[in-house]
Amino acid sequence: MSAPRRVRASFRAGWHSFLRRRTAVFFTFFFPLIIVVIFGALVRTEPTGGLFAEDPGYYVPGYLAVVVLFTPLSRVGSEVARYRESNRFEKLATTPLSRSEWLLAQTLVNVVVIGLAALLLLALVLLLTGAELLVGPTALAALVAYVVVGVALFCGLGAILGSLAGSQDGVIAASNSIALPLLFLSETFVPPEMLPAWFRPAMGLSPLTYFSRGVRAATFDPIDAGAVAPAVSNFAILVALALAFLTIGAATLPRTD
Amino acid sequence: MTAALVAEDLRRTYGETVALDGVSLSVDAGEVFALVGPNGAGKTTLVRALTGTTDAEGSVSVFGADPRDVDRERIGLLPQEFDPPERLTARELLAYYRGLYDGGRDVDAVLADVGLSDDADTWYENLSGGQRRRTCVGSALVNDPDLLFLDEPTTGIDPAGRRALWRLLEDLAAGGTTIVLTTHYMAEAHRLADRVALLADGDLAAVDDPDALVAEYGGASRLVVDLASDPGRDGPAPLPDDFALPDNLARAANWERRGDALVVTGVDRTAIGDVVDALDAVGVAYDALTWKQPDLEDVYLDLTGESVVGRGRAGIARSGSGSEPESPPVTEGDA
Repeated sequence: MSAPRRVRASFRAGWHSFLRRRTAVFFTFFFPLIIVVIFGALVRTEPTGGLFAEDPGYYVPGYLAVVVLFTPLSRVGSEVARYRESNRFEKLATTPLSRSEWLLAQTLVNVVVIGLAALLLLALVLLLTGAELLVGPTALAALVAYVVVGVALFCGLGAILGSLAGSQDGVIAASNSIALPLLFLSETFVPPEMLPAWFRPAMGLSPLTYFSRGVRAATFDPIDAGAVAPAVSNFAILVALALAFLTIGAATLPRTD
Repeated sequence: MTAALVAEDLRRTYGETVALDGVSLSVDAGEVFALVGPNGAGKTTLVRALTGTTDAEGSVSVFGADPRDVDRERIGLLPQEFDPPERLTARELLAYYRGLYDGGRDVDAVLADVGLSDDADTWYENLSGGQRRRTCVGSALVNDPDLLFLDEPTTGIDPAGRRALWRLLEDLAAGGTTIVLTTHYMAEAHRLADRVALLADGDLAAVDDPDALVAEYGGASRLVVDLASDPGRDGPAPLPDDFALPDNLARAANWERRGDALVVTGVDRTAIGDVVDALDAVGVAYDALTWKQPDLEDVYLDLTGESVVGRGRAGIARSGSGSEPESPPVTEGDA
């Protein structure tokens, strides 16, 4: 009973702290809107060919990746830096709350926040870009599962960044440096065929690639083309990576000065 | 008594800086143990070593266990320069920390204890500095710990709030809570602590009960005579050559001129009149007399090598029957 109670208390504190930072709330939900409007407009240039020549539905994993990648990476990273600078970890080290419980609570806060942002984003995508998706219960369940696991994965990576970076400024710089290349080189907005052949194997190193492939397989590619297997296999890889990042993230959280 | 906390030969360095240099101490269950010392003496590092939140050489035992393995329900900590999440109310913050423990105290009762009942629903960032610190103290009390570490708990709290907090800590100590606190307020250490440890340069310079420390290191009582300015000079005139303490004081008391003051040490309060008579006898005018018993601050200044003279009362004069020196340092003379 103790661990759920501690995680619940930490979740509640984290949730209220987030909701009361109005700027953070505004931009968490405004960011997807900007992305959809900008990229949605570009996607509509499809008849002219160019970068965004695929069907609008192809880019849904990319839109989702924006919030699944950026928000947890920067939020958890900054939170770790903030906790360290305020000596909160020193205090927590003497309480029964473990580092993994702390990270779990932060992850749950991000899952809820980003889940809502993803829902908004998805509605905007369907409304503004004309994307057509598979909307059955299986596809929706897969989408939810992918968002949850993707958020968890990047919360783990954010914890690692926050633990290694010396300050909040350092976290923001590091998370931007990591997130931007990942966003465009993970089969999100740029199809692999548009990249040099020698580079394509490197896409397998990005966790976001498995998110994109899996979400696309679950929501865009036709079922009868054998999309279930990729959706499951990519999900399995994503789960394994998420567990690894969360474990390493929890282990690197500061415990001492 | 049973030891709640035992530390042996603790050492911690940060690069070239030695923060702890072989500190050993023991704190009995139910004892209030104060750590005092100058900035950078190692107080916070010592608290961190005792709570297992820094990697120090040596050994620490808290209730018979390593501090990182001890039952954390029994420990409370207020770190130095601690700031909890700023957009939670005082009540929410205490509820948050209370929620991390299985047992503990009622949040509203803790809020009342730290004097925050009326501001319990104010965000932490909107509280005054003293209220914030009291909230932080409350966060260390919510689990009703058996051993409480408080690193400068009253810093930033106004005198009335500080005294209220002292009463709270006295009540906790009376109830059997072991308290280890660091402070820069000597009056706080003297009032609260069963024993005071003076930390200097990463090592314990002295550990004892406050009165024993004062008796051993505090020196003699002191009468400070602020001499009146001489209209023809920039400050008081030199003491006449024939100034001397009366015979009944001469054996036990010393005097010296420090800047614009005459300082007589070793003089009992009942003999102040005799010093006044001696000044009157040689026509020395004065503005004020201040008699002071030695206290923990004198112990601190003595053992840390700091001095009041070095901090302010510059300009040394003569002592005993000698002539005025041309420049510092201080010389003490027998009357």
